[in-house]
Parts: sequence; C-alpha cells; structure tokens
Amino acid sequence: MSDQPDRDLLAAEYVLGSLEGDDRAEAERLLATDQAFARSVADWQQRLTPLAAHVAPVVPPADLWGRIEADIGSTGASVLPFRRRIRLWQTSTGVALAIAASLAAFIVLHQPELPRVAVMSPMAGGAPVLTATAERNGALIVRPTAAISVPSGKDLELWALAQGETRPRSLGVLPASGTRLVAQLAPDTQLLVSLEPKGGSPTGQPTGPVLYGGWLVTVEPPRG
Amino acid sequence: MSATTHAAASDETAALLQRCAGGDRAACRALYDRWSHRLYGIALRITRQPSLAADALHDAFLQIWQQAHRFDPERGSPEAWVVGMVRYRALDIVRRQAREIPGYEADDREDESPDALARLVSSAEGAALHRCLKELEADRRRLVVMAFVDGLSHSELAERLHVPLGTVKSWIRRSLLTLRGCLAS
Repeated sequence: MSDQPDRDLLAAEYVLGSLEGDDRAEAERLLATDQAFARSVADWQQRLTPLAAHVAPVVPPADLWGRIEADIGSTGASVLPFRRRIRLWQTSTGVALAIAASLAAFIVLHQPELPRVAVMSPMAGGAPVLTATAERNGALIVRPTAAISVPSGKDLELWALAQGETRPRSLGVLPASGTRLVAQLAPDTQLLVSLEPKGGSPTGQPTGPVLYGGWLVTVEPPRG
Repeated sequence: MSATTHAAASDETAALLQRCAGGDRAACRALYDRWSHRLYGIALRITRQPSLAADALHDAFLQIWQQAHRFDPERGSPEAWVVGMVRYRALDIVRRQAREIPGYEADDREDESPDALARLVSSAEGAALHRCLKELEADRRRLVVMAFVDGLSHSELAERLHVPLGTVKSWIRRSLLTLRGCLAS
C-alpha cells in the first residue's frame, strides 16, 4: 500500500481546491470509484472546512430559490444538472472525436459491417475507458479499454442521449467487463455511463455522477 | 458562536438533510434559508461573478436534494458536506472558465486580513485547524488559505505569488502534511 500516502495527499489537494487538469480529473475519478479515496476526501473536508469561515456571507439573488424549487419540483430532479454536466463535457469532446475517428477507420478496415463507434472518456477529461460499436443489425457491443473499478454496492449504468433530447434513455446496467445488447439508436446519440446503486438507477434517470461519455460517430468506409 | 450552539446548529442541519433525503421540500427550503447566505458568499468568492455563483448554488442545491441520502454523519459534519457541495460546483465552473476563456485572469482582490484566522475558532475543528495553521510559516499559511477560500489553482497561485509552479506544489503538499500530522495529534 505504498501509494496510500500519496492518495491521501491527492485527496487533500482535491479538497483544498488547487488541483487542475489531469490531476483533478484523476481525483474525481477516484472519488467516484475508490471508497478509500472517498473516505480521505471526507476526512480532509472535515479538517479544512473551517477555513470557509473566512468568507463573509452574501445574500443570493432573490429569485434563486424559485429557480431551484422549479427544478426539484419536476419529477426528473436530475435533469438540469445532468444537462449541464453534458454541456460541460461537450466542450472537451474534440479530442475524443479525433480518437473515435481514428479508431473508426481502424475498425472499418477490419469489419466493414460496423457503421458506428463511440469512444467513452471520463467526463472530466482523460484517456478513453470504453468503446462501443453499433452494428447495423441493432447490436451494441461495449468493451472496456482500461480496467474499471466499480465500488462494492454500486453498478455502472449505460445511457443513450439522442441529439436534442434532454432525458437519457437507460440501456441497462453495464458490467465493468463490457456487454452486448440490442438497441435502436438515433443517428446522433451520445452514450453515457453513470455510477448507480446496485441494480441500476431506481428512478429511470441517472442519479449518480456521470463518469464517462462519448458520441456515436458514423463510420465512412474508406474510398478506393 | 459557542461550541454548544455550534453543535446544536449542526444537529439541525443534519436533521434537515435527513428530511430532505426523504423528499421533504419544506426541509430543503429550510436548509436553503439557513445556508444560502454563507454558501453564496463562498461561491461568489471562488467564481467572482454573481451569475456563476448563482449557478454554483443552484447546482449544489439540486445535488443536495438528490444526494442528501448519501450524507453519512459517521464520515463528517453536515457543514463540511454542504460546504463541499457548493465549493466543488464553484471550482468546476472556474476551472472550466479558465480553460475556455483565453486571457481569463483571476480578480486581484485579496483578503489577507489576519483577523480571518481568529474567525476560525467557532468550533472544535476550527480551533484545532487554527492551532495547526500557526505551525506553518506565514507565506505557506497564506497559500493554503488562498487555495481553499479563493479557489485558486496551483498555476494561478504560482502566477499570483511569482513563484515557480513546482515550488507552489511542493509548499502546498508539505503544508498539508504538516496539517495532517498536527491535526492527528
């Protein structure tokens, strides 16, 4: 366990708030997947939160509670933050698209019947962890490209979010080893993976953090 | 606030969180009434823009509503949990802004008032942290406080203090190690 002290220090820096870039993404990934790390974060929050007493209270905008209440009043309480998370993530999909395109070209050479592929990367940035290929017959094959550790008592759940839609559709619990399922997916669809209670989301919408995501990209067979 | 009233306030927040977890919107409203001024102040200090601070508070409360059942009193105080919610949302927003807006620069406003340290001593944890922060050299202590309170990243701190990035990282790590050792004793 020689890496434990470093992990605890990473948790400390995460709580302090000074992390950025890959280090911050790594801390967020660990927070969602590693219970020991989550405990370290909780401990450091407990230690450092008194520093928040430095900040003078400020009255928030008068209409803010009304806006919050409107969102928690809707049945899909998770829709808005979810949508915003997607928006955040869309700003950084350029790299994933480039990887998807290169992977797609590779797949096409070998299996021309595979028309669409998605590369799913951590929402906070970082290397891809899952690929999904959608075959013309409606089969969707999801494979991990990196080891994924799922906390005990939790499951990953796969979601499809079509362009213009605000509520994702569950494609079921996703084993960390990958899966094969049948799904009709609209041409422009994002695949997303969230962390849920064992057995999947009880609400039909993501309730935990959205960990990974990627667009399904149509594969053009190489010409000539 | 004395230690006793602090504990009572903490119990009340924990009870509100529990009711919020059960879907009680009135409890969530009561939580907002109790906490929104402090949380908005924290978000505003980090984001430095009212609209972004409102976004952070909005997201934080939706998350509190959805995740109140995950609050575990064995793992920490309700204050730490609630403050964490808004700080991470505010940090998400500013880290993204820094990336997306070329030339974005942190506001120069600084609050280096030494009185701020005295305000810490309103709870047992605060008193312990106050004692341990005093073990750090003044400039290291300032670095820790600026990171937490202003939400400055390693590179923003380096720029602000005209110190190499590696030095900032190593100062922060050593300071955190010192705090960990001191707070454990």
